[in-house]
Amino acid sequence: MKKSLLITVALVALISVSVFAGGSGETGPKIGFIGPMTGDNANYGILCNNSVILAVEQFNAKGGIDGKLKVTLVTEDSEGVPEKGLSAIEKLSSSDKISGLIGPVFTGVAFAVGERVQNEGIVMLSPSATHADITSIGDYVFRTVVSDGLQGEVAGHYFYEKLGYRTIGVLYAKNDYSQGLFEGMTASFEKAGGKMIISEAFQVGDKDFKTQLTKIRSANPEAIYIPNYTAEMAQILEQASQLGIKIPFVSCDGFSNPDIYNLAGDFTHGVVYVGPAQVAESQAYSKFKSDYEKKFGVSPDSFATNAFDGANILLAAMEKVYKATGKFDRKAIRDAVAATKDYQGVTGTVNFAENGDLVAYQGLYRVNGTTPEYIGTFTVVDGVLTQVD
Amino acid sequence: MGIAEFFQHLTNGLTLGGIYALIALGYTMVYGILKFINFAHGDVLMVGSYAGLFIYNALRGDASLGPWVLIAFFLAMLASMVISALLGVTIERVAYKPLRKATRLAPLLSAIGVSFILSNSAAWAFGTNSKKFHYPFDNTPFVFKGVVITPHQILILSVSLVMMVILKIFVDRTRMGKAMRATSLDQQTAMLMGINVDRVISLTFSIGSALAAVGGILIALDFKVYATMGTMTGLKAFVAAVFGGIGNITGAMVGGILLGILETFGVAIFGIPSGLKDTIAFGVLIIILLVKPAGLLGKDEKEKV
Amino acid sequence: MLNFFLLILIYSGIYALMALGQNVITGYGGMLSLTQAGFFAIGSYATAILSTRFGFSFWATLPPAALLSALCGLLIGLPTLRLKGDYLAIATLGFGEIVRNVLNNWDSLTRGPMGIQKIPMPTIFGFVINPYTKYSFLVMVVIFVAIAYVLFQRLARSRMGRALAAIREDEIAAEAMGINITKYKVYAFILGASVAGIAGSLQAVFTLSVTPGTYTFMVSVMVLCMVVLGGMGNFKASILGAFIIQLISYFPQLTGLTSVIPPQFKQILFGLILVVMMIWRPQGLLGREEIRYGNEEGEKA
Repeated sequence: MKKSLLITVALVALISVSVFAGGSGETGPKIGFIGPMTGDNANYGILCNNSVILAVEQFNAKGGIDGKLKVTLVTEDSEGVPEKGLSAIEKLSSSDKISGLIGPVFTGVAFAVGERVQNEGIVMLSPSATHADITSIGDYVFRTVVSDGLQGEVAGHYFYEKLGYRTIGVLYAKNDYSQGLFEGMTASFEKAGGKMIISEAFQVGDKDFKTQLTKIRSANPEAIYIPNYTAEMAQILEQASQLGIKIPFVSCDGFSNPDIYNLAGDFTHGVVYVGPAQVAESQAYSKFKSDYEKKFGVSPDSFATNAFDGANILLAAMEKVYKATGKFDRKAIRDAVAATKDYQGVTGTVNFAENGDLVAYQGLYRVNGTTPEYIGTFTVVDGVLTQVD
Repeated sequence: MGIAEFFQHLTNGLTLGGIYALIALGYTMVYGILKFINFAHGDVLMVGSYAGLFIYNALRGDASLGPWVLIAFFLAMLASMVISALLGVTIERVAYKPLRKATRLAPLLSAIGVSFILSNSAAWAFGTNSKKFHYPFDNTPFVFKGVVITPHQILILSVSLVMMVILKIFVDRTRMGKAMRATSLDQQTAMLMGINVDRVISLTFSIGSALAAVGGILIALDFKVYATMGTMTGLKAFVAAVFGGIGNITGAMVGGILLGILETFGVAIFGIPSGLKDTIAFGVLIIILLVKPAGLLGKDEKEKV
Repeated sequence: MLNFFLLILIYSGIYALMALGQNVITGYGGMLSLTQAGFFAIGSYATAILSTRFGFSFWATLPPAALLSALCGLLIGLPTLRLKGDYLAIATLGFGEIVRNVLNNWDSLTRGPMGIQKIPMPTIFGFVINPYTKYSFLVMVVIFVAIAYVLFQRLARSRMGRALAAIREDEIAAEAMGINITKYKVYAFILGASVAGIAGSLQAVFTLSVTPGTYTFMVSVMVLCMVVLGGMGNFKASILGAFIIQLISYFPQLTGLTSVIPPQFKQILFGLILVVMMIWRPQGLLGREEIRYGNEEGEKA
């Protein structure tokens, strides 16, 4: 019995140490980030977290809130699962007392954490949870990414109307992001009159797509839609070229990560993709991109770009509330975020709809060699594809 | 399905199988001698690939093709084999050797611990994005009557075949191989017969790890280098090894190739949804274990009373 | 901070249930199974689907969740238990991966990678057991763990416990003594599976959403570690092991170090602890509980 006593004492000691360690006081406000920092999906979490680090650093370098209060970022690892996401928000909420949250990165975690922040009254801006229902959780849930619904809708219409495809094949991953885009695009492509004739899936972590590509090659659609993350798309393009597939590829915002050109090189030539509006043209974006690359040695993907805007919107809202009231009331911060109007960010002009969704347009790009060329900006109004720019 | 498509699927399956076989050889090598699942094998493979990548890129400079690039590739591979072998031996000394007399569970968990340490340290040190490993040769595919095969796929298949043959000769025909087999049968007796069991085990680990490095680099040409690259491919390769009869060198090759073909044909010919590829692999594994618990080519051992 | 600590206690409780089940299988039965994550997933999804689609109350989902897990335990156990050691580990690992793979692909039932959300909170006599406020939820989890603990303790002293111990020590001798090996092994497997299923149900009503990504092979490994860290064949130790492993996996948050140390460090630390533990104390913190049969007090000699 002595042994268990000893262990119990040791545990109690450990816990009390940790409780005290956690209580060290900071004067400035804190914001939180939740995303997968370890595990198979760590890359997407880390890229977004980098953006938030950069945003907070630049904000503090300019003096912080009202020129005096420095903001602290606390990053928690979700490992891409709701269980850890919940412990992360619990910790951020109860011990860090954060003023707002950037994240989570994945839809599954965003649902669990979203319910929680709604209950606690903490404003949350997800840079990448694209599922259509995320923002219907409540009024504290926002996102700086377009929903699968909108991106898929623009994609389906554009492929049918502007590119003239009548049949399409899809190769997607069995994760929430990829499957959401696949479903969104297919619905709108078929509504427009086209036909999705073959869809093949793969598991996250797969690297060999030759079986699926060979099947798609035999079905011979007019185009192949690959709504995936960067590394998988690079892999697909390379293997498709090895199999001698000449069918054109169309893609999604995952393609706006410049890393695709390192990984896939010339195989990217001719790909048309739906991405954030005007980003390639904007001055703010190129500054963000070069700052990011200088600091972290990697390029930001589209979600990381979204996270940068999300963080800056949150910081601006906090400053606004502090200047008006002298404190960081969570409800007031939420209202300030909701009141964001024509925010000029690195992803273009940001506005939020009533439900917390991003009011956004979609940019269309065609890759020439290894350079994306801007085609135009589109949105869908009442089921009709409309060119905005 | 046309003839060309059928043969394309067969080619795809064969070469995917070649990749599994390449890694399975290393697993089976260690298991054959020590009767122990080296869960960290996939992570040694990953470390070997990173080492190979860095050395290759440093030697290669900006050159993309040519004789110097090929030489750089072979030098990088040699260096990475040495590094991986050293890593493998170190892991064995630190994490497995003290457990030789413990229950089976202890080295298994210790290996899982090592796997955690390696993959997470790599993610921390090298980042989590995939890194490209440039082909040192022209990878323009060959086309025979509509069936495509790349030089890289041919390379993978031939290297795994050659490795299988060399390993087989080494284990069956050399003195050291004999010592290995003796150690595998009975460590105590082997020691009494004057065999330096520690040395045999170290050698086993260094060969297994060097094989992992070769496999890792060849795979990385297609799949890229990233911190979790050893996990799923390693697990599949392990399934392949068990499938063929773990501990059996020919079995690893046969198991790997068959697994690749089964996964491909399951999706391509039997119409199983492609998302269920892993279910095919593990389902086949369970069935094989039930019908023939020692694997396709393994010998069923009667338990000693 | 207190809230966060309560959450760790709840997770510890949920994992403790799984660890208790693993202990029956591995600690008592001596079978190296790596499939608790699969049963955990089945329990979670049974509760999630039955309560969101068919309007079952949480309590009404428990028997189906446990039964379904037990059935899968039987299905996988009956044929695979002939396998020895490492082979059994691999077969069960494969089963766990199959469960996750199927959940991720059976879109019409499980909504695939989208997961299932808006799982209703459990209620008892009109009182909502709210996972947000945690106190009542913690009480519920503690009651479940206590019930499981008492049942398993009794079981260990029963005919079945003795039979399993005999099988673990020497299968052939046990068989010669007339013990039906397969029967007891399958019993152990079914028991371990059903309690993991219940743990899954609790997890589902705590997180209120389920996704296939949660139930990876890692969960099975964690649970096995809990049993080994505590001490094999010791139910008290399994609960302690669950608590300690949870503390370790949340140590950066508990110590307020998350912003200071890289996120990978907790996994590296976990790996280190596994290796060091296996070398220095492979019998676990508390060691095996020696049961003197025929004595009411099972206290250690």
